[in-house]
Amino acid sequence: MPDTYILGIESSCDETAAAVVRSGEKMISNVVASQIATHKPYGGVVPELASREHLRAIVPVVRQALAESQQSYQSVDAIAVTQGPGLAGALLVGISYAKALAFALDKPLIAVNHLEGHIHAVLLEERQKGNRELAFPVLALVVSGGHTHLYLAEEKGAGWTYQNIGHTRDDAAGEAFDKVAKLLGLGYPGGPVIDRLSVHGDPKAVKFGAPQIKHRDRNDRGKPEDTRPHFDFSYSGMKTAVLRYVETHGLKTSIEARRKALAGIAKPKLEDYLANCDRETLDLVASFQRAVVDDLIAKTLAAAAACNAATLFVTGGVAANNELRQSFEREAAQQGLPVYFPSRPLSTDNAAMIAAAAYPKFLAGDFAAMDFSAEAGMRL
Amino acid sequence: MAMQEFTTHSAEETIALGRTLAPFLSSPGLVLLRGDLGAGKTTLVKGIAEAFQAASEEDVTSPTFTLIHEYRGPQTVLYHIDLYRIDTARELETLGLDDLMADNAILLIEWGEKFERFVKERKVDIALERVSENERRVRVMQG
Repeated sequence: MPDTYILGIESSCDETAAAVVRSGEKMISNVVASQIATHKPYGGVVPELASREHLRAIVPVVRQALAESQQSYQSVDAIAVTQGPGLAGALLVGISYAKALAFALDKPLIAVNHLEGHIHAVLLEERQKGNRELAFPVLALVVSGGHTHLYLAEEKGAGWTYQNIGHTRDDAAGEAFDKVAKLLGLGYPGGPVIDRLSVHGDPKAVKFGAPQIKHRDRNDRGKPEDTRPHFDFSYSGMKTAVLRYVETHGLKTSIEARRKALAGIAKPKLEDYLANCDRETLDLVASFQRAVVDDLIAKTLAAAAACNAATLFVTGGVAANNELRQSFEREAAQQGLPVYFPSRPLSTDNAAMIAAAAYPKFLAGDFAAMDFSAEAGMRL
Repeated sequence: MAMQEFTTHSAEETIALGRTLAPFLSSPGLVLLRGDLGAGKTTLVKGIAEAFQAASEEDVTSPTFTLIHEYRGPQTVLYHIDLYRIDTARELETLGLDDLMADNAILLIEWGEKFERFVKERKVDIALERVSENERRVRVMQG
């Protein structure tokens, strides 16, 4: 099999990204135009801003990805693009551009599910390191601002199969980080700030109860085929507990002062955050992070045991969290389970994962029709 | 103008109340869901979506990040919308909510009271208030 070069394009949310990956196992280039500076004043992703930024960035980002890989529009073998899930307007920018390229260049077009991409980010990097000994089935935790999903993944023949065995019932873990950060006047995005501040607080200072989830007996509801075990998540309760703590401990005034102080600093550094956070806030932040991390790990390990998973993947934006990585490695090792994370650049949204996930589809001839469209609520 | 008040004592009761309220929500219609973080807005939508056979309760999740969730029932399409992160009229315009308002559509909007037009246009106003850890007061206003 000759080398296959796939150009990947990703624009499902914050990031406009393009990458060239060789045969699903070697990242040749990976370009991400981060839009966080644009979104910061709004405390989140706003769709039209996202679409507008994607439009502005997509051509230069693709050009740079090709230049860095010493490939050209003509030399790549296929174009891969994220179909969903994500913001419809943002997805359409990437899809329209990918279609135009594929049509003009007469190259195959491959549609990729963003969540599948996150799983392949781990595979890509392990293969790049020469690790071809992954044991199956793999249990993958995909955890980000929009997602908290558990998938059992297996390689079957030319393709991959995925079985969803758990998801959040309310807020995604990353969304809880963002909302708690906003609530405490720490700005957007919330994850990295909370991660960096948490090491300065006492994670045992504030008690958060583990989320209680009632798993209904699905057999009672006329779905006899659905007897798989389920490991669902819930982070709305922890977010509310932080709000309650703020109200009952009279923190509103100090939070408002912090919000104003940090808004006056162009690019706040860790020292700026620390200077504006009292001990009580640092303890609250550390305790919140510990509660989320403990719950993600406990659910994932319980699911791994129930499904006889042989390998764990932890991927998505929240996989960049230091405490999550360290605790996962420690606790998975105790269960004798190998756990793999993407490097930080491949944890957050990127296009290398899209190009990597497209490779098995390229081999299988699984190409997208020219009339496919964005699927904002796409499932895996 | 009719106002009714309910009290629920668990998330399950809030979901059940959503199912009870569903017949009073008709399409086309705009429903405001008001209440602080953690008041139970998304929980109530779980029951409403189930009653319209548009989604199962576990599939209804927070639309904060994704802004609009669409749940299609046999007769009615529910749009669960979260304007928590939308602050200006210009940002709101980009969501194109007017395009969603078809004859068979019900828009359930969280944080919609931030915008005067939704307060005027709403058919039903549902206000959720946290009374204690598990107890919620739910006031439903029609007309």
